[in-house]
Amino acid sequence: MTTVRLALEAMATRFELVVQGDDEVSLRAAGEEALAEITRLEVQLSFYRPSSEISRINAQAARGPVPVEPRLFRLLQTAQHLHKITQGAFDLTLAPLMRCWGFTGGTGTLPDPDALAEARQRTGMHLVSLDDAARTVAFARPGVLLDLGAIGKGYAIEEAALILAEAGVTRAFLHGGTSTMHAMGTPVEQPTWSVAVPKAPPLSCAATDENVLAVVDLKDEALSVSAVWGKAFVADGKTYGHVLDPRSGHPAQGALLAAVAGPSATVCDALSTALLVLGLDAADLFASFEDTLRAVIVCTHDETDTLDILQHRMPVHQV
Amino acid sequence: MDPSKLDRRNFLKKSSLATLFGLSGATEIKAAPLPLRPEPDGSVSREPVNCALIGFGQWGREIAATMARLPEANLVAVCDDYDVMLRRVQREVPDATTHTDYREVLDNPDIQAVLIATPTHLHRDIAQAALEAGKNVYCEAPMASTVEDAKAIAQAARAASDQIFQVGQLYRSNPQHRSVFQFIRSGALGRPTMARAQWHAKQSWRRASPSRERERSLNWRLDPDVSLGLIGEEGLHQLDVAFWILDALPVAVTGFGQIMLWNDGRQLPDTIQAVFEFPNGVHLLYDATLASSFDAAYELYFGSDSTVIFRENGKAWMFKEVDAPMLGWEVYARKDKFYKETGIALLANATKLDAQNQDPTADDPNVESPLWYALKDFMDNHAFGPYPPAADYQRGFEAVVVAVKAHEAITQNKKVAFDAAWFSLD
Repeated sequence: MTTVRLALEAMATRFELVVQGDDEVSLRAAGEEALAEITRLEVQLSFYRPSSEISRINAQAARGPVPVEPRLFRLLQTAQHLHKITQGAFDLTLAPLMRCWGFTGGTGTLPDPDALAEARQRTGMHLVSLDDAARTVAFARPGVLLDLGAIGKGYAIEEAALILAEAGVTRAFLHGGTSTMHAMGTPVEQPTWSVAVPKAPPLSCAATDENVLAVVDLKDEALSVSAVWGKAFVADGKTYGHVLDPRSGHPAQGALLAAVAGPSATVCDALSTALLVLGLDAADLFASFEDTLRAVIVCTHDETDTLDILQHRMPVHQV
Repeated sequence: MDPSKLDRRNFLKKSSLATLFGLSGATEIKAAPLPLRPEPDGSVSREPVNCALIGFGQWGREIAATMARLPEANLVAVCDDYDVMLRRVQREVPDATTHTDYREVLDNPDIQAVLIATPTHLHRDIAQAALEAGKNVYCEAPMASTVEDAKAIAQAARAASDQIFQVGQLYRSNPQHRSVFQFIRSGALGRPTMARAQWHAKQSWRRASPSRERERSLNWRLDPDVSLGLIGEEGLHQLDVAFWILDALPVAVTGFGQIMLWNDGRQLPDTIQAVFEFPNGVHLLYDATLASSFDAAYELYFGSDSTVIFRENGKAWMFKEVDAPMLGWEVYARKDKFYKETGIALLANATKLDAQNQDPTADDPNVESPLWYALKDFMDNHAFGPYPPAADYQRGFEAVVVAVKAHEAITQNKKVAFDAAWFSLD
């Protein structure tokens, strides 16, 4: 039994893959194919490359329906479904708002009210229509922009895991920037892969028990963690986080961290972002979760300095 | 003779036979629809070309994905003898039929063109069969893995003069390369003095499969009996550009090869160097490795007045010598700094970008991948041709001859002198 470790820079993230099995050479080959798939998907999905398929769609879909590659089309359908079940908390069309608030490449500023209103006119999944029969996407008006940042990593990890499985790998752990991950099978001689979700940014605290919020055991399962991690700016005495609530057009209040585990890395990636937006309101959403999903949300309590924890089948340690 | 196989062009040629058929009372000969159609509004529309793809490995997938962005192409069938690949076809090209036997698509009269993306050493049988079946053929490069196979394919393509045969040496279709080629031809380098090219990656080049037997056949690139190694599978594209830019084929090649990182039982080197000598004295230094990704891939053409570099997707820059004559336009061109060197960006459609008020320092959103331009040329040939493509069977044949000899030089650490007769098809 041997372990091979590989890494890749893509989607402004460091992906890391651990594969275990009998044949080291074969394992590496499978790992390389899986990581090559992530690179391929980055080229297709990147919001920042003008020649990517997403950029082409953003440039053309307001003029008429644009044909979409089959797998990407299914991803957009998944995003539309997730938008519905999260009551709009998950939304791929936030780029104009992000720009307004100065979050793209900046620390953030209070937006001009007119600019904000204009940006809000251009955001919302209701402006995106998907034609299932023709496999096309169209925008209801110019200025709509699809940005797959909140779901792209999970999708890439899920597709990469499929490549691993097709190559015959049965034990693997793949993560992107430690925030979205997929665990295949189990590690050698252990019942599950174990992931510690910390209370503070991983690089800033020691990996000791008191810094651990929860230990999540994964077997053929994905996990995604979204956190604020102190990224915020202050204006007029008020603190604004970097996570936008698509429903209000303003940064979301309250939730510090959200983690979701389930069979699909794509869905987990999207839901962890949505839960960060919903905060304690996610309790209603939890009720509609399938049995296969587990989640935890950590919020600051309104009045006191304590934390509120909402969990769904995901136990946490003492905080 | 099957009447449905006769299209209008062939009908006119074989009119004597047609008369014979008419006299004998045989089946009515129908003309196939013309590829270009005038529309009532005055525009001209095109019938998409029905295509079959043979081989859905790494590059086959790229071809299929690229064809989805070409409305002139209609990918109706994909063949692969590995069931895992066919499942990928069903996910990624759901409208295409899947086949394990390529003969099925060759027998289908509705398919006009065949794109061959199988392992290199399997091209010959498929290309010959496809040409015999009357199909137009896009054959990936290297066209073959032996001189004998390449010659057979080239001779078959030459004989099938009514059919399109394009080899996958895709930079010959790239507008960026064409633009820089003209620029260099106009003397921008001054006196060409030397060239250097590299292809670097950090990867084992292996493929994996749960089946041991399948794994062996998937790893044909590492099989010394059939593979041309790094110089054939990666270097060939860059060498083809050199032959085009320098307007010459090499007269000799000296090679070196080592296994520097992947000590996994392979025999073929993972790191190679080759020096190609050209008739005017210019030498091309080539290196390729699977052990380091530094600086990826590029081709440099040194000249006494300026040096030109090609990077990925045909991006190019010119570095002028301080004492070189002024060209005039360079004052307005975009300049990019690379450490101490200042490169003048060579953009094929610089005036268009300017006219569209687009930021010239950003990636050009209108630029497509090199493969897209190559496939577009192939599809355009169906509507406006047949005419000899820029990357034709002769270019394919010559590239294989060079790759085979270079691979020999590399694996045996020796110098090989080219006999000009080797490049002749007769």
